[in-house]
Order: sequence, then structure tokens, then C-alpha cells
Amino acid sequence: MLVWTKPGKALTWTAFALVFGVLVLAPFIVVIAAAFAGTWNGVLPSNPTVGHLQEALSGDELASLSVSLQTAFLGGLLAVVVGTWGALAAHGAPGPVARVADALHHLPIAVPSVVVGLGLLVAFSRQPILLNGTKWIVVIAHLVLMVAFSYGTVAAALQRVDPSYADVAASLGASPARVLWQVRLPMLRPAIASAAGLSVALSMGEVGATIMVYPASWRTVPVSIFALSDRGQTFTAAAEALVLLTATVLVVFTLDRLRGRAVEQ
Amino acid sequence: MTVQLDDVSVHFGRTLALEGLSLTVAAGETVALLGPSGSGKSTALKAVAGFVRPSSGRIRLAGQDVTDLPPAKRGIGVVVQQYALFPHLRVSDNVAFGLRAARTPKGEVTRRVAEMLEMVGMTSFAKRFPRELSGGQQQRVAIARALAIQPKVLLLDEPLAALDAQLRADMLGELQKLRREVPDVAIVYVTHDQSEALALADRIAVMRDARLVDIAPAAQLYATPPSAFTASFLGGANLLPVETFGDGVKVAGHVLPGVRATPGKELLCIRPHAIRLGDAGVPVRVIATQWRGSSNQLTCTVDGLPEVSVRIDLPADLQVPALGAQVSMVLPAEACSLVPAERR
Ligand SMILES: Nc1ncnc2c1ncn2[C@@H]1O[C@H](COP(=O)(O)OP(=O)(O)OP(=O)(O)O)[C@@H](O)[C@H]1O
Ligand SMILES: [Mg+2]
Repeated sequence: MLVWTKPGKALTWTAFALVFGVLVLAPFIVVIAAAFAGTWNGVLPSNPTVGHLQEALSGDELASLSVSLQTAFLGGLLAVVVGTWGALAAHGAPGPVARVADALHHLPIAVPSVVVGLGLLVAFSRQPILLNGTKWIVVIAHLVLMVAFSYGTVAAALQRVDPSYADVAASLGASPARVLWQVRLPMLRPAIASAAGLSVALSMGEVGATIMVYPASWRTVPVSIFALSDRGQTFTAAAEALVLLTATVLVVFTLDRLRGRAVEQ
Repeated sequence: MTVQLDDVSVHFGRTLALEGLSLTVAAGETVALLGPSGSGKSTALKAVAGFVRPSSGRIRLAGQDVTDLPPAKRGIGVVVQQYALFPHLRVSDNVAFGLRAARTPKGEVTRRVAEMLEMVGMTSFAKRFPRELSGGQQQRVAIARALAIQPKVLLLDEPLAALDAQLRADMLGELQKLRREVPDVAIVYVTHDQSEALALADRIAVMRDARLVDIAPAAQLYATPPSAFTASFLGGANLLPVETFGDGVKVAGHVLPGVRATPGKELLCIRPHAIRLGDAGVPVRVIATQWRGSSNQLTCTVDGLPEVSVRIDLPADLQVPALGAQVSMVLPAEACSLVPAERR
């Protein structure tokens, strides 16, 4: 920062702490407090309890967590495969084709997720592909949304990789498949790993499209939270949110560790 | 194996990066492609390697047309400018890459990798990753990797450009040694450094603006450059306009004894170190001096030729004239050659 005087520094730090504290930390703290609150009538919650947390970790709500994790891994990881493939294909394609592919892959980010969900619902509620009412429509919704992020991450990394690596590998007699598996993909491994982390994390929190398409049998945690809060069960919703938060942090942290290892190699 | 380029042109979109290059490199011969930045040297190399597709012309290896063959089918060793060592593979796996691609038996791979690393003096670095190596070491590994597949053609794109001056001088010596280890390989060596070209090449091809300007044996190109561009790019020759009278030539009105006029060649070319100061020469005025350790370089203007300046290398043991001093430069006939004036 370009502030050198002591009072100037103190002032900027205070301003930063205030903004960060109020906008970023406060909601977290309030959610955590609410998760353990028996009642909350005054300024501070009272009658601390772990009852809500027990509720959030049992029956339907626990099933939601499992659903969310499965969806995130299936949808997120499929999205990484599709996104990486798309980015590689677009990179090798002639200019106009690459630009169209780029635009198409970014469409799901540009379009509101509710619209994406509605589109999928209408498209897959009739023959020939009838997916409405199955978990697959949720997975596909997540896949469609996360592909955009995976594609973006891998495409950006591809831009930075010098094409001479692949050229040299080919000159050494490697077939295109060998060049792909032994040179291009390993060199993209950090980007692919961070695309995976990003996709899974975003998928764990996705609600806009999911709420349009989910069947009763496949309800993700964010949808549960929404439903609970809608029914006025704010504290249980907060407890569920805490579970979601913890699960996401754990998953992302684990993926990040894997990524760290990939970079080290 | 002979490399033969036959009127090869390469376009990148609208840019013409290489225009009608014809060039033959014989087995065992080293040809340097020498030229300023952007002159198409790398493009020529990439065309031979198969990394770019010529828009016209043919490329032949040992007489066989390979223009439409992918790089993997050409069996050419390539060392690119930044080496492009695979960052996720150890040194030994980098060197083994081409052997494994050819499904060489395991024992043979181990043996050959060891032999290659030995040749470039990198045996003790076999287990390191490229990022744990210095620039010079990376360069050796890149060469070992290219030679591991026993190519009959080796392409080197500015292999020394990324190294500092001292290391470059050492590596130049190593490349000369390496040359003797692979006596029948055709080598194309791209550089913009004339001293590398002179030290390594049998023949030098001078390139400019996507075109081949001159090609000749190194010594001949240096001694009697065919064009003004080659004269100044290779060895920084002075170029002085001459007037002819009958058989003889004059510079700034002064007769140069022993230099014979040639029709169509209006520039006198002479190296800075070939000029001497003495009596009865062409009068010049010293405008700058620069000490270079082994010599002093004078920059002078020539009376009567306002648009040219002349560089003169004086041996360090000679007295340096003062700035602004008027001296007389002697142009020994045996060091002079005539070239056509640039018409562009
Ligand atoms: N991939 C590319 N796309 C578009 N233009 C290119 C590409 N590669 C090279 N060029 C252009 O082709 C011309 C020749 O480039 P080339 O790389 O062959 O030059 P060079 O002689 O190797 O120069 P340098 O000494 O800087 O490496 C340049 O004008 C360059 O801008
Ligand atoms: Mg180049």
C-alpha cells in the first residue's frame, strides 16, 4: 500500500478491518451464533444448545449433505473433464471456431442460473430425454454451470504454456496422444486441480438452478437451508449452513492439498 | 542426411515470415542461419522440423519429400530457444522421452540415457528437475534429449542466447566439441550472433526480412561479402562510397592504390581492424574513442563524405589520437572489397 505515515497506516487498517469485519466476517459469526442459539430475543443469543446441529446432522438433513457431496463431485469433476477437453479443443481450433467455443462455454456464467435451471427443466421434461424427477437433472445443471469455470481456468493456463513443449515432444517421435497425456496434461495439472477445487466449491453452494430442477429425492444442502429458512426454522437453517460451510472448507482444503502436491512434482 | 529446402515460403495469417528460401545442408555440414530479429530464422527452422506448414515450396530429407509429414515422423533433433525441457520430468526422463516414444527396450533406454548425459557432462544431475538446473545445464540436457534419438539432422535455435557472456564462450567450445562427436549429422544453427556463426558454421546463410540475402563458406563471406548488408552484419564492416576513374577507385577524392573498380559495385567494404593510421591516406577527423581492452575503437568522419562515419580499431599499444584530431587512414588494398550499393 502506498501509505507510509503511521497514522495513515493505522487509518487504512481500521477502515479495512471495519469493511472486512462488517461485510465479510459478521454474517459468518451471526450464522455460527444462530446455529447454537436456543433463543435470540435480545442483542445476543441466549440458551445455547447443540440441538439444531443434531437436527442438521440427522435424517433428511444428513441425506442432503450426502446429496450435495455426490452432486459436487460428480458434476464438478465431470465439468473439469468436459471443460479441459473443450479448452484443449478450442486452443487447437482455427480462430473463428475457437472464439465461438469460447463464447458458448462462457454462456452459463452470463445467463442467470435460474434461467439455466428453467431451460434444463423444460428441455428434459419431455421425450426423447426424460430426466425430470431424477438426480441426473441436478447433476447436469451443476455440470453445465461449472463447465464454464473449468473451461476458463484451463483455457487461461493454456494461453500461458509455450507451444514449443508440444512441438519438441512431437519432434522426439511422440504420437499426438502421447504428447497430450505425457506433456500437455501434466503441464496443465495445477490449472486442472484448481478448476476441480473451484467447481466443487461452487457446486456445493449452488442454489439458483438447483431449486428449479431438484426432485424431492435429491435435495442439496443449500436447497434445504432455503426450505428451512422459508418455514421460519432459522436456527436449524443456520446449523445446516454451518455444516455446509465446514464440509466445503474441508473439501476445498483437501483438493488444494492435492493441487499443492501436483505442483511440487 | 541432406536437408533440402526448395523455395519454401511461410505465412502467418498475412505476415510473410519466410519468402522463397532455398537451401541445402549436406550430411556432416553445419550451416548457420544468421540475421537480425524477425528475419525469419526460427520460422525456417520450424518449417524443417514440421512445426509450421509452408504455404509453398518443398522440404526434403535425404531426397525424400517430407513437407506433409508430421514432426514425429521426421526423426529430427530440435533444440528450441528456451530449451522447453518438460518441467514435470526429471533430467533422465527428459532425455529418455524420445526413446520411450519409440518403444525402445528398457535396458537400452537406460544405457543410452547414461551415454547421452555422459556426453554432455550431466551424469550427476540425472535425478534433478529442470527448474533445479542453471541455464547452461538446461541447455546441455536439451541437446542430450535431442541427440538421444540419434537424429541425422540437428536443429538448434539460438541455443546460447539465454546465457551470459562468459558461459556463452564456454558453451561455444563445447558445441564445437559436440560437433566432432556427431560427424555425419547435418546441423542447422540459428543465431543472430556473428561470432557464434563464424566459430561453428561451415557455411553461413545471412537472412533479412524473411529472405536469404547471401550464403557462402564462413571465411569467404567474411573476407569478401557479396552485399552491403552482409558486410555490415557480419563483422561490422565500414562501407564507403567510391568514385571510379578508369580502372581505379577513389574515396573522398583520394586514390586507393591497388583497388580495381568493378562495374555496379559502388561501396568499399573494409573491417575496422584492417584500417591503419599513417601517411598519405584519406583524411578523417576523430569524433569519438572507445577503449575495448585489446583495442581502441575510433569513430571518425571523412572529409568530403558528410553522411558516413568510419570505425577504426587501433591496437591498444598505439597512441590514441585526441578527440577532434585530424588523422589520415590507410586502406590496404588486400583488405578492401567492393559491394553493390543498397537499393531498397
Ligand atoms: N506464430 C506466429 N504468428 C504470427 N507471426 C509470427 C509467428 N511467428 C513468427 N511470426 C512473425 O514472422 C516473422 C519472422 O519470425 P521469426 O521468429 O522467424 O524471426 P527470427 O529471425 O527467429 O527472430 P528472432 O531472432 O527474434 O528469434 C516475424 O515478423 C514474426 O513477427
Ligand atoms: Mg527466433
